[in-house]
Amino acid sequence: MTALRTMLQQGENEFRKYLQAVRKNPSALRPDLNSSPFSQEFSPRIEVDEAKAFASKLDLAAYLDNCFRTVGAKDEAILGNKGLWTWLAYLWFDQLTNRRNNILKRDEHYICAETSNYRRYYIHLVSPPYEIYSKPDLRPFSMLFLYNPPWEINDFTERVAANQFLTSHANVIQVIYRLYFDQSKGKPRPRATSRGVAGSVRSFIRVFQQLELTYDVYSMSPEQIVDLLPSEFDLWKRAKP
Amino acid sequence: MNFTRRNDQVVCFVLNKLDVDDLALPPDARVYVEAYHRTELKRFDFGTVGNMTPPLSTDLTDMAYRDNLKFRILVVDASDNKVLAHADRIAPDKPAERKSILEVNLEDLGNQIWQVVYEGDEGRPILCINKSIPEEIARQDPQFMVYVYPAVVREILTNMVFVEEVTSVEDPAVDWHADWLQFSRDLGITPPEVLNHAEQGFDKGKALEWIDEVVTKFSDTLGSKFQEYLQKLEGAP
Repeated sequence: MTALRTMLQQGENEFRKYLQAVRKNPSALRPDLNSSPFSQEFSPRIEVDEAKAFASKLDLAAYLDNCFRTVGAKDEAILGNKGLWTWLAYLWFDQLTNRRNNILKRDEHYICAETSNYRRYYIHLVSPPYEIYSKPDLRPFSMLFLYNPPWEINDFTERVAANQFLTSHANVIQVIYRLYFDQSKGKPRPRATSRGVAGSVRSFIRVFQQLELTYDVYSMSPEQIVDLLPSEFDLWKRAKP
Repeated sequence: MNFTRRNDQVVCFVLNKLDVDDLALPPDARVYVEAYHRTELKRFDFGTVGNMTPPLSTDLTDMAYRDNLKFRILVVDASDNKVLAHADRIAPDKPAERKSILEVNLEDLGNQIWQVVYEGDEGRPILCINKSIPEEIARQDPQFMVYVYPAVVREILTNMVFVEEVTSVEDPAVDWHADWLQFSRDLGITPPEVLNHAEQGFDKGKALEWIDEVVTKFSDTLGSKFQEYLQKLEGAP
């Protein structure tokens, strides 16, 4: 077990250099950034397990939720704390790269971007899974975003969660879950996020952005929202949950 | 709207006046104000158009992200959930604090003169200029300006249309898209109706034509710099 830390600017710079090096040479040695001036201990003190193996993003998010809740850490100290998320990605780097077999191209998958930069922020491999899981009203549908291994990109997170209006409405997330997630298989329906597929989640976002100009979706039930969707969604509407 | 801040964060707000007289809204339509950012949204019920009653509290301190909160005012017909009027993306910033359409940074770019990175709020473009270039050159040198700035505008619009997704030309989901579409309108160029490359009805040719028109008009605003540049060339040995 090790004490949770927050990455500082100098640590982020070194981590970025390491990312460049490890992409060229997967056996490059990870620098030790667990001391000042690279990082500082998070307060209140929280112990995290560097060796903990996570089968899915859900596992990882649930583990962190438990760590944070145990010490009563506040959301505002956690969610916007990009240094904390960068450090966690540093801590679990081997696992987040599938033992360095799947090192993703963008630094922002590991180095947490500013939270106001939605598109960059939502490609981080640790923070968005936790954030989605931490919202009680989103949690029942969070498998959509958390079903896959921690080192993989999740298309729903990048498409849906990066659109702030959608994730602030649990009823809308429930509709997306109903249309595009196959509960029996524990993963999204085939081609749910594909480009050029009628009624895919890409179409849903486009149609929904038009609907929300006309309807007060916040007040509507998931069923009412589904009823508003045009015929291109019929096949997805008919799919069994 | 007036906003109260504590430690530079908005903690509550007051809706002083909502002037909807000209909109002929039914008096029983509901009025809501929403504060939102990313996964969070908090709705406040302000009663009806005919009887506006502010809620007892507009406390925002339970929201995790108060740095970048935005506000939306909605007037809704409660019988069918239809939005009758709305004002969106109300930012508590003072107008004087608003950012310019394009942030400029001086950076070590090796042998590149300039580069646009999309790392501002919501992926907003930032123009990086090689820090080896003296600042006054970047600000006012005719040659630099006529070579670099129109190309920057073209790069940003091309990225916005062909890499990003402009969800709506009238009301895009991303603020910086709205800013650059307004930039086009301010130059007298109306954008095509569809600029989302993933949407049916998107016309690549029309989009490229629009980008060309904006760059041409923008270059016209640098006309005096271009003339200065030509004079320099003519005067050169």
